[in-house]
Amino acid sequence: MASGIIRDVDIKGIACAVPEQIINNEDYASVFGKENVQKFINLTGVKTRYVAKDEQCTSDLCYVAAKELMKKLEWEPSSIDALILITQTPDYAVPATACVLQHRLGLSEDCIAFDINLGCSAYVYGICTVSSILTAHGLNRALLLVGDTSNFGINQNDSATAMIFGDGGSATALERCDGKSFTYFLKTKGSGFRSIMVPAGHARTRGKQIQDESLYQLSMNGSEIFAFTITDVYKSIESFFEEYGIDRNDMDMFVFHQANLFILKNLARKLKIPMDKVPVSIDRYGNTSGESIPLTLVDVLGNEKSREPVKVFMCGFGVGLSWGGILMDIDRSVCLPMIYTSDYFKGDDS
Amino acid sequence: MTLKEKLNLLEEVLDVEKDSLGENTLLEEIEQWDSIAVISTIAMLDNVFGKEAEPEKVKNARTVKDILDLME
Repeated sequence: MASGIIRDVDIKGIACAVPEQIINNEDYASVFGKENVQKFINLTGVKTRYVAKDEQCTSDLCYVAAKELMKKLEWEPSSIDALILITQTPDYAVPATACVLQHRLGLSEDCIAFDINLGCSAYVYGICTVSSILTAHGLNRALLLVGDTSNFGINQNDSATAMIFGDGGSATALERCDGKSFTYFLKTKGSGFRSIMVPAGHARTRGKQIQDESLYQLSMNGSEIFAFTITDVYKSIESFFEEYGIDRNDMDMFVFHQANLFILKNLARKLKIPMDKVPVSIDRYGNTSGESIPLTLVDVLGNEKSREPVKVFMCGFGVGLSWGGILMDIDRSVCLPMIYTSDYFKGDDS
Repeated sequence: MTLKEKLNLLEEVLDVEKDSLGENTLLEEIEQWDSIAVISTIAMLDNVFGKEAEPEKVKNARTVKDILDLME
């Protein structure tokens, strides 16, 4: 298992932005029938979701979150050494959206900027990647931006995907900090790459005339993802706890990717941890892909002023299939309150 | 667990009337047998019987007996 301890890096701040447009899942009764919608809500827990209008991209939400975070931390744009964006809904096929954001945020040309394509596991991978870059390159400050506007292009007639996703963008400020450390594990099971997928529209289907529009839309195999979570993900967490001598009773919070409520409850049951230590944000925000871990932290800690540390185990799992976990102490006051915005980038002529 | 207890458990998971299922009941004839029911059944097999999740086996089940067999 790829796992270890990363030292001398700390999370200095977390901000999350969601669109202002709120969607109530009960309104889908006319599409899928009242009973089916209720059944869906009972299983997934998703009652409302924040959904971006077409003109508002993931980068716009991440931009607002990053701006607010830089303001709160009083971080000068020139002091930021790296910007990594993790999304599956970039602005363009080419170039990397991180480059556009480096420009929009006014960061220095000495700043490292690139995109990573991951979804549900994005936050855990992002914290590990960014921290490694800071330590390996002897850099000081970085912004990790994680977000998705998963509702764009979704099949509105597929009840499994039409009512589950919320949109949002997050920004996390990481800084070199002597004495701080966190423990992590990262895993991949590419044999399950078809479980969550948009099959058409990129190079693999180049030159092919595809009539079936649904192949351009996200498909999800719910039972495979569920099985993956309660077997592969569960076993990895148990191995991780055992390898590093981690006592789950010492944890203040288990912040899991908000896949759906049924998965959260079953994962908690398997791990024998009480649900009151598993914060839930999916009921109001939906499954926000890679943003769901920082969003849940912001939901719980967004108004905290105390600097008392909180011991958190974060675990992201899903599309790839890709998953990982991080155990770290974070300062209770690092999260900004939730940001609601309709802003989008108007400086683009395309 | 007796056969009747297993049937009652499945009825509870599928949210169908008590004592409405028999071993030979075809799953496709149960209105509630859908993708959500498949996931609920996988969870039940894991939780109650300690069976490792095998979604294909549950999806390929044709009758109630096929599900009962997975409890063994």
